[in-house]
Amino acid sequence: MTNDASIRIENLTKRYGDFVAVDNISLTVPAGQVFGFLGPNGAGKSTTMRILSTLLAKTSGAAFVAGYDVETQPDEVRRSIGFAMQDISLDSMASGWENLQLLGVLYGLTPKASKARADELLQAVGLSKVADKWVNSYSGGMRRRLDLAGVLMHQPRVLFLDEPTQGLDPQARRVIYEYLEGLNKDHGTTLFLTTHYMEEAEALCQRIAFINKGKLLMEGTPEELKAKVDKPNATLDDLFIQVVGRSPAEEDESALVQGTDPFVQGRR
Amino acid sequence: MLRFFQQTGYLFVRGLKQSLRPLPALIPSLFMPLFFLVVNAGAFANLRHMPGFNAGSYLVFYAPVAILQAVFFSSGDAGIDLVVDITSGYFDRLKITPIHPMSLLLGKLLAVGVRVMAQMLLVVLAIVLLGGRFVTGFAGLPLLLLLGALFGMAWSGVGLTIALLTRNQRATQSAFVLFFPFSFITTAQLPLNLLSGWYRTAVILNPVTYVLEALRALTTYGWQWHTIVNGFLAAAGIAVVTLSAAFYAFNRNVTR
Repeated sequence: MTNDASIRIENLTKRYGDFVAVDNISLTVPAGQVFGFLGPNGAGKSTTMRILSTLLAKTSGAAFVAGYDVETQPDEVRRSIGFAMQDISLDSMASGWENLQLLGVLYGLTPKASKARADELLQAVGLSKVADKWVNSYSGGMRRRLDLAGVLMHQPRVLFLDEPTQGLDPQARRVIYEYLEGLNKDHGTTLFLTTHYMEEAEALCQRIAFINKGKLLMEGTPEELKAKVDKPNATLDDLFIQVVGRSPAEEDESALVQGTDPFVQGRR
Repeated sequence: MLRFFQQTGYLFVRGLKQSLRPLPALIPSLFMPLFFLVVNAGAFANLRHMPGFNAGSYLVFYAPVAILQAVFFSSGDAGIDLVVDITSGYFDRLKITPIHPMSLLLGKLLAVGVRVMAQMLLVVLAIVLLGGRFVTGFAGLPLLLLLGALFGMAWSGVGLTIALLTRNQRATQSAFVLFFPFSFITTAQLPLNLLSGWYRTAVILNPVTYVLEALRALTTYGWQWHTIVNGFLAAAGIAVVTLSAAFYAFNRNVTR
């Protein structure tokens, strides 16, 4: 088990046939850091996160999370991480409380401890009053907060957040980001996140990496990265456009969601 | 090991709640068997006078068919429940918990078994209210429920396999059409001795026929142990095939 590297990726590659979704990337995220993993849609961010969270097998290379090999020690990785996926993944026909209680037990908490933790988190994310309502009656912001509570049930050391504020209004986004900031500062939780809100990435992340078409293009602190833009007072938005291009590129295979419905996927 | 049973138990409860919510969605799976029962019992009432037809009434003859259809309909929903979890991303959420992967499938199968038995009981109650009497009485009820639950879990393997292989709601729902040949090309309408030609051969080859005949022994003909044992063996055989396929598809899915 490694000590201070929370995430270590070595020459990681994921191929779907001839298509390379993640192309030989390497990076290290120290424990307790907030790390932004940025790039356009289809860049390979979600694929990388799915490999790191043990949902997807890599083609080659190596990846370690919380000191554990994602390929040979998946259960240890799973106990150490929380993964808030891009699409909110809750049981919509169950109450908020039922969702959390089940996840707690599946993460190894006793039913009593799971109940206590669920109550604590529902309070923390402001959903105590609607805890007994089915999730399908929740607003988008409420679902996102419950989803976040779900991934925190077992107090993970590393949190993967795939666009955690996607589709939320500024107020709801702020609530979530303040909560995440607190988690990092108070508990030392490592955050590995993707977002399309560059100002939020800049405010929250201590280091940032840009990925495009599966390749890791650059990595550094927000200040170091902004210095690479040929423009005074540059922002991460400027860098993003410099890296990716001004107009949306013609969509290719990289924008497809790989590994989903085989009836739809890749059929012409 | 204790944790495995506890986690499987929680997944079973979740699966059961999922299959019962919302309650009005259960109406079609109860309505259809009862509709066929009432219509057929009315339309074919005079068949009881036919030589070779040895049941007291067509209602009692058809009763096990209604029970079997309740099993088909309630267990058929398992694949749809699973594909909803898969397409919503909830299945991925469960997959990245550090549980034994088999807990996911076992919890679901147990939920199918319990739901099947609950729906069978409702259909049995409706049959009794319609005037039907079961020859083995209360003593036969546990065997009836056990056989139904076993066949229900076996049949759910079809939907679960399609859900896991296709991850597509429409493809999974299309498994419903299999109900027709497996349910109707049996001794559903007439006893085997009154069937002939290719239809009789197809009925003999259909393993569901033996499950139906065992149910019919318990409801209509009495303690015909040979028929009852054959029914359990047929259900077990179907379970081996369909659940092996489901476990294969599941393993393929969880090993990424």
